[in-house]
Amino acid sequence: MNKFKNLIAFAALLPLSAIAQDRYATRNGSIAFSSETSMENIAAANHKVTSVLDAATGALQFDVLIKAFEFEKALMQEHFNENYMESNTFPKASFKGKMTGVTAEQLTKPGTYEVVVEGDLTIHGVTKPMKTKGKVTVDQAGAISATSDFGVKPEDHDITIPGVVRDKIAKEIQVKVRLDLAKM
Amino acid sequence: MRTRTIIVIAVLAAVAASGLYAWKEYERKPEGAGELSATETLGAAELLKAFQQDEPSATAKFVGTTEQAVQVSGAIRAIEPTGESRVNVILETGDALAGIVCEFATADVPLTWRAGAAVTVKGICTGMLLDVVLVRCAPVE
Repeated sequence: MNKFKNLIAFAALLPLSAIAQDRYATRNGSIAFSSETSMENIAAANHKVTSVLDAATGALQFDVLIKAFEFEKALMQEHFNENYMESNTFPKASFKGKMTGVTAEQLTKPGTYEVVVEGDLTIHGVTKPMKTKGKVTVDQAGAISATSDFGVKPEDHDITIPGVVRDKIAKEIQVKVRLDLAKM
Repeated sequence: MRTRTIIVIAVLAAVAASGLYAWKEYERKPEGAGELSATETLGAAELLKAFQQDEPSATAKFVGTTEQAVQVSGAIRAIEPTGESRVNVILETGDALAGIVCEFATADVPLTWRAGAAVTVKGICTGMLLDVVLVRCAPVE
């Protein structure tokens, strides 16, 4: 189903005044992940993350195209897509949940707010609940930036790491999310 | 002895060549779309429509099992810097809610490109979220 139709349907449930004031979105969010071991360091970034935040309810969603993750080395990118993420079968990852700790009114004023993000993270077709801390910053110009760092274990999402290379990949992958949100 | 020497040299040369190949393969960088031949050529509206009508089929065709370049033509709806030396060139599709987002390195966007200009882009298609997303794009003259 067209994801924007989902957003329209969701927005239709909200009062029009709330829609105008309390919904923020981006098409250019970034997610970077890294794996550091004594044998090898692996890192990649995706700058095409789509996200919507409803400040009135705290509902937060972001979606990611797996093939938009970019590596320094082509071989790593190919192995990531073909062997680990199986991106031909599972082309997207997503998060659906809620952000608490900041109100819609606070998002209209400069400040930095500690938030908690909780919801369902779907990677490689497997959905797991997650809860993590984050930070929301509103600058003097009213621009909103939401960031969060957390760890993901490959086996939690049925991502199989062959024994031959297991020591080359960290047990827990470090993920950094940054969303620069604009009012919809 | 001479034969043995030749064999040793040949084996060493093969090992060296294999090592060089392995090192070059390990260090190989992802290719930009400009370095690839386009497997599909179509208009921006047509590409969006394909994804909207049947996303799994469009993903199989335009994203493919291995990276492939898609050549897309259309008018520029907007050019948006996104930071970190990147720019989105968004192609008009006739659908106000969705476009073709073509991510370029800032230096690769022709200086003559403006909103409204008719352009052709080659990019690596990665799928569809709200828009169809192409990365590592290159302009096509």
